[in-house]
Amino acid sequence: MAALDSIRVVEWAELISAAYCGKLLREFGARVDKVEPPAGDTARNYGPFPDDIADPESSGIFVYLNSGKRSIVADMSTAPGLQAMHALLARADVFVTNQPLALRRRLGLDAPALRARHPGLIVVSLSVFGDSGPNADAPAQAIDAYAVSGTAWVIGEPDREPLIIPLLQADYQAGAHAASATLMALIARRRDPAGRAGLSGETIDIASADVFAAAAGTNGKVYLYYGLQKWARAGRRAYASGGPYPYVILPCKDGAVCLIGRARQEWTRLVQAMGAPAWTGEPRYQDLHAMGRDYPDEVDALITPWLMRHTRAELLKLAETHGFPVGPLRNMSEVVASPQFAHRKFFRQIPHARLGAVTVPGVPWKTVGRAACAPVAAPRLGEHTSQILAELGLDSIEARS
Amino acid sequence: MSNRRPLEHLRVLDFSWVWSGPLVTTMLAEFGAQVIKIEHGRRLDNSRLRGKPLREGKPVDGPSIETGPYFHQTNHDKLGITINLKSPEARALLDQLIGVSDIIVENLSPGALARVGAGYEHASTLNPRIIYLSMAAAGQTGPLSGLRAYAPIMSSYCGFEALIGYPGDAPIGMMNFGYGDPNAAIHGLPPLLAAIYEREATGKGQHIDMSQIEALLSVIAEPQIDFFMNGREAAPTGNRHPGMAPHGIYPAAGEDRWVSIAVADDAQWQTLVGLMGRPAWAIDAELAQAAHRIGRSAAIDAALAHWTAGHEQAQLVTSLRTAGVACSPVQDIAAQWSDANFAARGIRKQTVHPITGPELLYHAPWTMERSAPEIQASAPLLGQHNDYVFETLLGLDPEHVARLKADGVIA
Repeated sequence: MAALDSIRVVEWAELISAAYCGKLLREFGARVDKVEPPAGDTARNYGPFPDDIADPESSGIFVYLNSGKRSIVADMSTAPGLQAMHALLARADVFVTNQPLALRRRLGLDAPALRARHPGLIVVSLSVFGDSGPNADAPAQAIDAYAVSGTAWVIGEPDREPLIIPLLQADYQAGAHAASATLMALIARRRDPAGRAGLSGETIDIASADVFAAAAGTNGKVYLYYGLQKWARAGRRAYASGGPYPYVILPCKDGAVCLIGRARQEWTRLVQAMGAPAWTGEPRYQDLHAMGRDYPDEVDALITPWLMRHTRAELLKLAETHGFPVGPLRNMSEVVASPQFAHRKFFRQIPHARLGAVTVPGVPWKTVGRAACAPVAAPRLGEHTSQILAELGLDSIEARS
Repeated sequence: MSNRRPLEHLRVLDFSWVWSGPLVTTMLAEFGAQVIKIEHGRRLDNSRLRGKPLREGKPVDGPSIETGPYFHQTNHDKLGITINLKSPEARALLDQLIGVSDIIVENLSPGALARVGAGYEHASTLNPRIIYLSMAAAGQTGPLSGLRAYAPIMSSYCGFEALIGYPGDAPIGMMNFGYGDPNAAIHGLPPLLAAIYEREATGKGQHIDMSQIEALLSVIAEPQIDFFMNGREAAPTGNRHPGMAPHGIYPAAGEDRWVSIAVADDAQWQTLVGLMGRPAWAIDAELAQAAHRIGRSAAIDAALAHWTAGHEQAQLVTSLRTAGVACSPVQDIAAQWSDANFAARGIRKQTVHPITGPELLYHAPWTMERSAPEIQASAPLLGQHNDYVFETLLGLDPEHVARLKADGVIA
């Protein structure tokens, strides 16, 4: 038995955010029915594809996000499509969507309309700016969340344009927050007599801009409160090293390493690993805060020749021996070959009709003593349309446009 | 209708520190859980050790370990107790605490809590209902499980730092941001909440072994899958997007002023061309199609930046948004703090700290109609709730508590 075995989720989603929410709920056993337009979820058109040949049934990201869900094709611009949607929602516990607010309103699929029609439903919407506030109707993409939140402001070189966090992290974060909020609402419902009777739902509105504002603000308001120089881009290090030296990415013999010390003993151990060169005994290199804040480039230049004589693997060995924190910058071939992930059986083989299997990341937790669910294929577009319509008693209604 | 407090029946023992674990437990507290943060006077949460904040240029009154905004943010609404976990008498106190608790959260090195008598096996023997969330950098098992890691070290290991940078240049990473911590928190919370939901039916607890590095891998699936499928190595892509162009951050008039612009489709490109006054470079039939614009991103970005640099930030944001093209000001933290949209969304709430006074804290960024997150108090002072927890909650004799304090057990 899994925690959410009895929970039905209806997902009306494009690309990542709402689908990641649905995926996380699916990991706990929820039954997720994914409503797709006749052209399919846009994620089917995003790769990566095997040999770069586009195919809506073999998009790597679609398989990753939608494994184990069922797909029903229903066109929301038609009456039968909407009827099928409402029939699905009438028996569902959770509705999760990242469709634009204006579209949801026009179709009567916005939260107030749905809560009135399906009083027990937990309605979850995901967007950049949220369903309320002055920006609710502004056009927005993930990049807007990094811009307004203070995130992009602190990534990049000081004399060049700010950088986003790549790979649509705003969407993944919104999805993980939405899944958590949904689980909270399910706990609340179970403890509420009206909830158990199916009369008491919830409206959850997740904005990725809010998510990144809280994360950036947790670090950033330290600078705000301290009235120090503003928190800003500092290239390959944290601004003013975020305190003591070091907090930086530096080159080494075969790439680069991330070097961090927050406590004096970490610096002392690094000095030992370097063989205690004479400069480390000079008065100028005793105050770690001054080194981090006032002349970090100078200290970098003293350390870099030593780093350049060692590979990442050698530095990692030295770090383990001496006890200071080092992170080798790794590329994907190195990451996926890491014995750590093999040991934990992290990667998953998702069955695939044509390819045999698609290898994707697993989930980042293990519930000790309980077997993980067997990986299930992602649905072909509309694979379960007939089955789901039959369940709903709509088998005579053509939901396809 | 009053706000529901879905976790008000739960008590949490919080052995976590810094950001990832404390963020999980502070969110539990926002939904009503009673969270007891366990510290020790000689082993403080290092987020207490960031110096004294300034007010109007002068350090605020009070000890620096109590006055830091970062500590208040990540530990608000918790009770604070102090125990020397290494003293033999601490074990009896921990046993009693475990007996009356529902959840344990920790982000220490694997095995550290077992050595002081608070490992999962021991805890679940005492209390089979206990839900125990471990959040080690690499998880509880495997050759990397002893890894000592700050957030950027985790994101280096998993290949993410190497993907942050300008196209064609060496990676520079996102050292300022510490993405690994909030990402770990929001991947520790779902299995914890699912376990709470499940326990309501089964009465049984469980041990959740989550890996913060794997949580990062979970959100950067594309380059891993591309490597598995095609053997291709990812590289920094700057501000580019796989399906949109232009997509990036462009200068506005003035010093260090920027806007983000994302053109989602071909119609929006025509809108933008119109707003730019149809310059010759943009009137190019090939650029009407996204695939070609993506191929010529570098040239488009340079020309677009030349145009944006001649306009005020607010003017660009207003005119592009009005025309239906996503455009936002790139804000620093002070601008975020005064942003009207965030104010309307209510992402911060005011509370009062006993030493530093009124302060604004972020809560879980969830707008929920009936079970909204609440902030009722700031972070605990070191050991502030020792008397409440040991005398009132555990029912220990005040003289016994006084002796434990004198002996350095509660300290």
